[in-house]
Amino acid sequence: MRALRRWPRRAGIAAVALLAVALATPIAITAAGAFSHADWYGERSEGAAVADAPALFSYVLETWGRALLRSAAVVAAVVPLALLIGAPAAWAFRRRPFPGSRLLESAALVPLAVPGVALAFALIQSAPGFPRFWLLVAGHLAYTVPLVVKSVGNAVETFDPRLEAVARSLGAGGWETARRVTLPLLLPALILSALLVFAVSWGEFNVSFLLATPLLQTFPAGLYATYTTNSFPVAAAATLVFLAPVVPALIAIQALGGEEFHRGLPA
Amino acid sequence: MTRRHPLGSAWTGVLLALPLLLFLAAAVAWPIAGLAARAFATNRGAAFGVVLAAGRYRTSLVNSLALSSAAAVVSVLLALWPSWVLARERFRGRDLLRTVISLPLTFSGVLVGFLMVVLLGRVGALPKAIGFLTGREAFVGAAYTFAGLFAAYLYFEVPRAVVTLESAFRRFPRELDMAARALGAGPLERLIKVALPAAAPALRSTLAVTFSASMGSFGVALILSRRFTVAPLEIYTEMTGFLNDEVAGALCLLLALATLVVDRLLSAGRR
Repeated sequence: MRALRRWPRRAGIAAVALLAVALATPIAITAAGAFSHADWYGERSEGAAVADAPALFSYVLETWGRALLRSAAVVAAVVPLALLIGAPAAWAFRRRPFPGSRLLESAALVPLAVPGVALAFALIQSAPGFPRFWLLVAGHLAYTVPLVVKSVGNAVETFDPRLEAVARSLGAGGWETARRVTLPLLLPALILSALLVFAVSWGEFNVSFLLATPLLQTFPAGLYATYTTNSFPVAAAATLVFLAPVVPALIAIQALGGEEFHRGLPA
Repeated sequence: MTRRHPLGSAWTGVLLALPLLLFLAAAVAWPIAGLAARAFATNRGAAFGVVLAAGRYRTSLVNSLALSSAAAVVSVLLALWPSWVLARERFRGRDLLRTVISLPLTFSGVLVGFLMVVLLGRVGALPKAIGFLTGREAFVGAAYTFAGLFAAYLYFEVPRAVVTLESAFRRFPRELDMAARALGAGPLERLIKVALPAAAPALRSTLAVTFSASMGSFGVALILSRRFTVAPLEIYTEMTGFLNDEVAGALCLLLALATLVVDRLLSAGRR
C-alpha cells in the first residue's frame, strides 16, 4: 500500500530526470565532438593542423577572438546599465509610488513581447548614424531591464518597509538609508539580477545578428558563421566556448537561490 | 511610514524611475513609433497591402502564429508535471536537474538549431544510433522538416515553461494542497483538481511568455528552415537580401502587433 502511494513521487522525479537528460543529450554529443579525434571526420576545410582538442579550441579562439571580445564588451556595458536603469525604478514602484508608476511598471515589461528582429530593425531605421555598439547595447537592455525590474521588485516586496522607516527615524538621511539599509538588503537580488542579465545578454542573438556589422559581430553571431561554414569538431568547440561562462553563471544562480531566479523571469 | 516629506517622497520616486522612463521612450517607443510613422507615410501604407496579400509574407506571418501557438501549448503541457515535481518534492539532485533544465534558456536560437542538426541532421546522432541498432537509419535529416523545427522550438520553450510554472507552483498556498492530501487525494489528483485551477492565471501567463519568445525567435529558423518560413526570417531576408525596407518594416510592425495582442489577451486581468 505504501509502495503504491509512493509511485507518483518516483514517477514524477523520473519525469524530471528524463526531461533533463533529453535536454542535455545533444549538448553532451556536441561536447564529445570537440574532444574526439578530429581526424575521424575526414578531410576538413580547416586543414590537418586542427586535429586534436587543444588545436580546435585555439583555432576557435583565433578565429572568433574578436567576436568574443565584442560580446564581453557588450555584456560589460549591459550588466551595470540594466541594474542602474531597472533597480532604482523597481524600488520606487514599491516604496515611492507616483501617479502613473503602475503604468510605467507594466510598460517596462512590454519589450519582452516585442520580437527582437522588429526592435533591431526599428533601432537601425530610427538612428542610422548612431554608433552600432550602443544600438546593440540598447537592444540588449530592452530584453534585460524587464528582468531586473521584476526580480528586484519581488525582492523589495519581501523585506519590511519599516526597516527603512526606522533608519530614517534614527536620523539617517535618504542616502545613508539607501547605502546602509536598502542596498545591503537588496544585494542578493542585485547579484542574481546581474547574473541573469549576463546570461541573457551573452546568448542574445535576435537583436545582435541584425545590428551586427562584419566588424561588430557578437559571439552568438559568430556561432552562426561557424555552424554554416566550419566542420563539426570546430563548431562543437565553439559551442563549448560559448557555454563556458554561462554554465558557472547558472550554477551560481541556483546556489544563490534559484527561486529568486525564477521569480525574476517574466511570469 | 516615511511620511516626513510627503511631497518629496513622490518626487523621489519619479526621479528614481526617470532613467527607466527615458530608456523606454528612447530605445523602444521612439524607434517603433518611427517605424510605424514611416510605414504609413510611404505610399500611404502600401507595404501593408503587399504583406497582407496572399503570398510569402502572409504565409510567414500565419506560420509564425501557428508554430508559436502550438509550441506554447505543447511546451506548457509537457512542463506541467516536471515543474510541479520541482516545486513540490524534495529529492537529491533536484538543484542539479533544475540547472540542467534551465540551461537552454540562455541559448541563442542558432545554438538550438545546431543542436537539432547534431541530433537529427543528415548525419545526426539519432539516425546513426538507430542505424547501428537496427541496421536501417531512420529520421535522417528530420531536423530540416517541420517536425524538426517544432522539436527545436520545444527545446527552448519547455525549459522556459518549466521555470515559469515552477515559480507559480511555489507561490501556490501549501495549505490547500495539505487539505486535499488529508482528504485522501493522490499527487496526480491534487495536481489536476487543486493546483491547476488555482494556477490558471500562471498557466495563461506562461502561455504568453512562451508564445512571445517563439514569435521573436529567429536563429532556429535561420539554421533549420528549408521550405517552412517564419516572419522573423522573412524580415531578415527582405532587409539584408532585397534591401526592401518598406516590406520589412510592415512585417516588423505586424509581427510585433500580433505578438503584443496575444500577450495582452493572455495576461489580461493579472496586472
